[in-house]
Formats: sequence, C-alpha cells, structure tokens
Amino acid sequence: MNSLSIGPQRPASEAAMVSRQVFELDHLTVNFSTRKGAAVPSPLQNLNLKIEAGRITTILGRSGCGKSTLLRTLGGFIQPEDTGGVVYKQQFMTGPTPEIVMIFQENNLFPWLTVEGNVRFGLRFRQNDGRDKATAVSEILESVGLADAAKQYSHELSGGMRQRTAIARALITRPKVLLLDEPFSALDISLKRHMHTLIRELQEETGTSMVMVTHDVEEAISVGDRVLVLGGNPATLLIDEETRSPAMLDRYSPDYLELQKKVESVIY
Amino acid sequence: MKSIDWERAAPWGVGTLFFCLIIVLWEMAGQSELKFTTVMPPPSEFLSMVVESGFRIGLGSQAASLDEAILATFGRVFAGMLLAFVAALITGMLIGLSRFVTWCVSPLLFVLAPIAPIAWIPLAIVVFGINNGTAVFIVFMGVYFILTIGTLAEIRRVPEEYITVSGNLGASKWQRWVWVVLPSILPGVFTLLRTNFIAAWMAVLVAEMVGMRDGLGAIIMMGRNLFNNELIMFGMLIIGVSGFLVDRILAFIGKRILWWRV
Repeated sequence: MNSLSIGPQRPASEAAMVSRQVFELDHLTVNFSTRKGAAVPSPLQNLNLKIEAGRITTILGRSGCGKSTLLRTLGGFIQPEDTGGVVYKQQFMTGPTPEIVMIFQENNLFPWLTVEGNVRFGLRFRQNDGRDKATAVSEILESVGLADAAKQYSHELSGGMRQRTAIARALITRPKVLLLDEPFSALDISLKRHMHTLIRELQEETGTSMVMVTHDVEEAISVGDRVLVLGGNPATLLIDEETRSPAMLDRYSPDYLELQKKVESVIY
Repeated sequence: MKSIDWERAAPWGVGTLFFCLIIVLWEMAGQSELKFTTVMPPPSEFLSMVVESGFRIGLGSQAASLDEAILATFGRVFAGMLLAFVAALITGMLIGLSRFVTWCVSPLLFVLAPIAPIAWIPLAIVVFGINNGTAVFIVFMGVYFILTIGTLAEIRRVPEEYITVSGNLGASKWQRWVWVVLPSILPGVFTLLRTNFIAAWMAVLVAEMVGMRDGLGAIIMMGRNLFNNELIMFGMLIIGVSGFLVDRILAFIGKRILWWRV
C-alpha cells in the first residue's frame, strides 16, 4: 500500500480506537411532517446506539427500515425530535457540518466539471490549510487510481470511476466522517469488490470514520468493521456484530458464512 | 484521403437539392409567366433588382445599405434576448431563493406571460419613442416570461444531491446558487432561449414593420408601400436566411459551450 497523507493517521492503539465514539444516538426519534403539518412517524423511535470512530460501520436492513433516514440524520440533513438526538463531539447535532461528508448512489458529480474539477470543488469553499491545491488533487486522484482520467467529464466515466471521483472529492476535504448511502449498488459485482478493497484501504490510511448503508449483505460484511442490521417498526438492532476477526476476512470461512446466513435470515 | 461520410452528408445533400429544385421550379414558373409570379417574382428578378440598386434599400437619402439593415435587426434581437436571458435567470433565482418573492411575483408573471409581445408595441412607442429601445423591449417581452417560467422549472429539476453535496463541502447558500444551481440550469434555459428565438425574431420584425424606419422588417413595409414585390421577396429571403444563421449560431453555443445535461 502506498503511503498517503490525506488525513489523520489511524490511532495507534486498537483499544483506544474502539472506545472512542464518533456518534452517539441518544433516544433518537425522527418524525416527518406532511404538507398539512401532520406528523408521520419514521421507524426511528427512541433509538440508542453508539458508533465508534476510526472504523467502518455498515447498516443493513429492508427497504423502509429507516436506515437511509438514520444516515441522513447523522449527516445533519434531518432534524430529529427534541427528546433526544445525535451526539457528535459531545453536543447534539443541529445541522450539517463540513466535517461530515456524504456520498450518494448517484448524482454525486457535477457534469460540467472534469474529474479534477470535481475533486478541486471539494477545496473551493474551505479555508486554505497550507496545502498546495494542485498537489493535493493529484495525490488524491493517484490514491483512487484516477490519475489518468483527470481531464475526463463524468459522462465519459464508468460508474465505478464516478464513485471513485466522489470518494476522492470527499476525502480531499479530510472529513472526520464519511457517510455512504448505497454508494456501490449501481455497480457490477467485480467493480463492487474492487471498490470494497479500495474503500477499506482508504479508511485504513486516513482513519476516517465511515458509516455505510447498504442492502447488500456481502458488501456489509466485507467492508464493515461492524455490521448492524436494523429492522422492525419501531426499528431496533436485530444484529450487531464485529466482523474484523481474522476468520471473517475470508469470504468462504465458516464464520463468514454463518454471519451471512444469520443476517439473511432476518432480512429476507 | 478521407472518404465522404454518406450517412452524415445525406441529410445536407438531399436538403440542398430539394431547396434548389424549388428554386428551379420557381424560376421556370417565372419564365413561363405564371400568374402568381407577379406577386412572387422569382429569385433571378428580385436579386438582380437588389444588385442593380447597389444593395441599397429605399428611396434617395432615406436609403440604407443592406448590411445596415441586417446589423440593426441583429443588434435588436440579440440585445433583447441577452437582456431577457439574464433577467430571467435573476428573476428565477430570486423566486427560488425566497418564498415571499414567489408569492409576490408569480401571479404577475402568469398574467403578463400570455400577453403577446406585439400588444406592447403601442405602449413601448409612447415610452421609448420610435427607436431601438422599443424594438429591444418588444423582443425582451417576447422571451422574458417564457424563460423565467422555464428557469423555475429548471431549478426544480436540479438534483437534490447537488445541493446536499455542495452544502456538505462548505458552500454557503449564495455560493451554492452561483457554483451549482446556475451551471445546472444554464444549458436548459439556453435551449429554451434557442427554441424561443423564433418568437424573438418575429417580435423584432413586427416592431420594425410597425414602428422602425430601418431593419429587415422595415424592408418588407417599404416594399409594400412602394408596391415593390421584388423588395418584399428579397426582404423575406434575407429574413429567412438570417434567422437560419442565428439559429445555427445558437445551436453551436448550446452544443460547444453549454453542452452538459443535468
């Protein structure tokens, strides 16, 4: 793995890392309101959960289980009820912060900008932190394997290249947290696996906390350090498993297959 | 040597040939002195008339050269369209930014939009006088409302993700509008401008026929007043060709400069 300086280093001690949380959901309740003002409860009612910093947490669940709502709430795009909320940096979140960046399934890139322009867009509205922008852009493009595609526009890219550009643009801002909303669902299986390896590598190099929502069980297990399965209404954690044990790293190991079976039995 | 790409050349070739065929038939009708050619003299007649007069249109001291007429019309139509384009973008964005502005402006917008630009001519002549101001104003009225309504539709079409992503990357509300919403809507609004060019073009010609003393529209009126059918035919030809050229220019801008689709 090539060494990169695109973010804070991963903390030395595993124990210290696990004990540090990035988010704490404290009696989180999210309700939506209709046009006429009537409250429509989401599945997220009085949910308590801790999400550790410096690792990848994946959230699985059926459609409508509240996983995307949860992710948007973590991003600050949805404001929960006052009875609780998301604790970030010892405070309840009140809105989006540039430290938390979100990547979507599609429409991440601006079609009028090249790959380079899109990535540079990540730095446009930030305080100059002393980095040379051009160097920062070429370094990050190198690390996601897009150095040769820098001058291409998004309609000239494959789906995988588009998502890599979006990841590069997010990471160049050195975010504390990266939220990924089914980012690889539109990709074919081999590209997907390639992206899984890439996102793990980038996470390990930068130490960024990542939360990824997906409906792909294999993706959740192979990318995540921890897999959460959300289900029921109101939503509860049906499964909460650590997946970084050495036995889990092999896709065909008994432990992996057992977890996959367990997860699939609650989802399908 | 590159061989001719027949697939690409065919539409142009066939189009040109058919156009020439019409001209030839028209000329033949003129030679055999069919009745309609006294009202519609064939190209050989009205073109030679214009060449003889040294490409000057009109009588004596009032005569203007052809390029002056073309430039006057182009200037009016482009000025009006540019103003309408910019004004529509600004209005659309203001409406998009504030619900209060929306409530104030939209009734006005939807009541004024159906008024034909020609209907503004009498008022415009009183306000601006018989000059370029009137013509530019008429063109402006011809495209401004439709472009504003189009801008609003384009703004609604901007993907939610763009707004979230840019806000996420630290853009303020104002920066989001400049760097994300504006580039997202520009190509769509420009396409609308192109499709409404015909409306602008008609507006300026009518303004020139009714009020102005110069420009392509005035050529037609002069032909009418002098019972000069050659002049009318020539004016019509120039109007058609100029309009075609402008459309090509706009298409080129749309394809090469504002090429992306959101």
